[in-house]
Amino acid sequence: MIETREESGVLIIELARADKRNAMLPEMLDALYSAITSKDDVLAITLIGQGKTFCAGFDLKACTKDTGGDTMRELLTGLSRCVCAFRAHTAPVVLGVHGAAVAGGCALLGGADIVVADRNAKLGYPVVKIGVSPAVSSPFMLASMRPGIVRTRLLDTDLIDGEHAYKLGMVHELCDAPSDVHDRALEIAKSIASKPGSGCRETKLWLNEVCAVSDERANAGLNASLELTGNDEERERLASLWGES
Amino acid sequence: MTNTPATSSAVLLKIEDQVATLTINRPDARNAMSVEILDAMHDAVDEIKDSATSVLVITGAGRAFCAGMDLKAVLIELSGDAGMGERLLTRLAELTLKIRGLPQVTVASVNGAAVGGGCGLTCVCDVTISHADAKLGFPEVDLGICPAVIAPWVVKKLGAGIARRTMLMGGIMSGDQAYEIGLVDQLAPNRDALASLTNDVAQRLASGGPKALSATKRLLNELDGSFDESLVLKGAKLSASVLSTPEAQAALASRMKR
Repeated sequence: MIETREESGVLIIELARADKRNAMLPEMLDALYSAITSKDDVLAITLIGQGKTFCAGFDLKACTKDTGGDTMRELLTGLSRCVCAFRAHTAPVVLGVHGAAVAGGCALLGGADIVVADRNAKLGYPVVKIGVSPAVSSPFMLASMRPGIVRTRLLDTDLIDGEHAYKLGMVHELCDAPSDVHDRALEIAKSIASKPGSGCRETKLWLNEVCAVSDERANAGLNASLELTGNDEERERLASLWGES
Repeated sequence: MTNTPATSSAVLLKIEDQVATLTINRPDARNAMSVEILDAMHDAVDEIKDSATSVLVITGAGRAFCAGMDLKAVLIELSGDAGMGERLLTRLAELTLKIRGLPQVTVASVNGAAVGGGCGLTCVCDVTISHADAKLGFPEVDLGICPAVIAPWVVKKLGAGIARRTMLMGGIMSGDQAYEIGLVDQLAPNRDALASLTNDVAQRLASGGPKALSATKRLLNELDGSFDESLVLKGAKLSASVLSTPEAQAALASRMKR
């Protein structure tokens, strides 16, 4: 579900569940976390998705089957852990979004230093309509975007396109075609990896300090999402996705 | 009424009614910040603080706004002074804090290249005006060095997300691109039109009540943490530490030989 390789000092991580639009399972997030933390000597990291879209978010079928909410809890915890790991890594992280980054998939943007997307990619956090709180993403979004925009994006279930996300500062560079996104993300990562000395590493770590997301804040966001998990509203809304009641 | 206070030739200071204009005056070195330039800017800003003005415009003499730190001074093999980098960076950090704390509204009129610390200086100002053909950016990481000393101001100006992208990718952008990401607030179509636009903005700002302007600026400084001196001074130490590494010195030496 996760594939990795190294090229020119860049760790390339691919979400590899293309037949499910790279929808995340707990074991997939465990593998992603291992991929991030197992390599501390790379100079840049690229995260991209195989298939037609970057990531459709959590695997909601798996969440629906587990009526006790444990799968949702594991996913929220795993997601927060991965975003924190991306942030803490000494190598700048370049994320390439082609097609769509939805809900938990969009939350991965919180760990990125640079986000490349195609103009028509669909991005957003439409999770309150299934009774899930996107609070887990809020500390990381607030550390990189204007507070007013963060409120709107987390509360409004609409998806926005790449062009709009660029104007809001969620995306930092646009490609005309989805097929260009991987190449451009890797090109940026290789450019960073080729720079001399420790300037990039020290700059990233300093920016983490200047715009800190403390463990306390990250945990507060995660806990706010976890507190809702497994309640009736979430169960009913998840079930209704598949025509169950 | 125009008043030209006595200042060193490193900077020119002109006071005209409510508007003071500080011109960095080292055009042969693209207004790069040496000890002399930084000392003169400190003195000029002290003088402006006590003046009866409500707007300060900062600009550069010649074709550039400011090319950043004087690389010859911080290249140890040239200067023979391993402590110069930290002294310059600390002096720059202190200057940014001093400019941010001015009661006057500050306007950077970016007439040409604003690079590294020079671009950081524009982020300290309340308003940045430039033209489509100017060159701005933070190429420090391209030289193996770290823009920590100015990073807090860049984050406050651009927001953390765009600041990360801009400082980690390095390179230089046009005035047009800088306007698109919010690094420049007002854009003249070309260099010739900059002076007129700067004058219009400065006069408009100066038409506001001086007490209202300074009270608003002070509150904005409090809200965004501008008075956190320790963060900026810590940034200067980090920049100096990275600058003194053999890798960074080698990259700088290589750049100087081009």
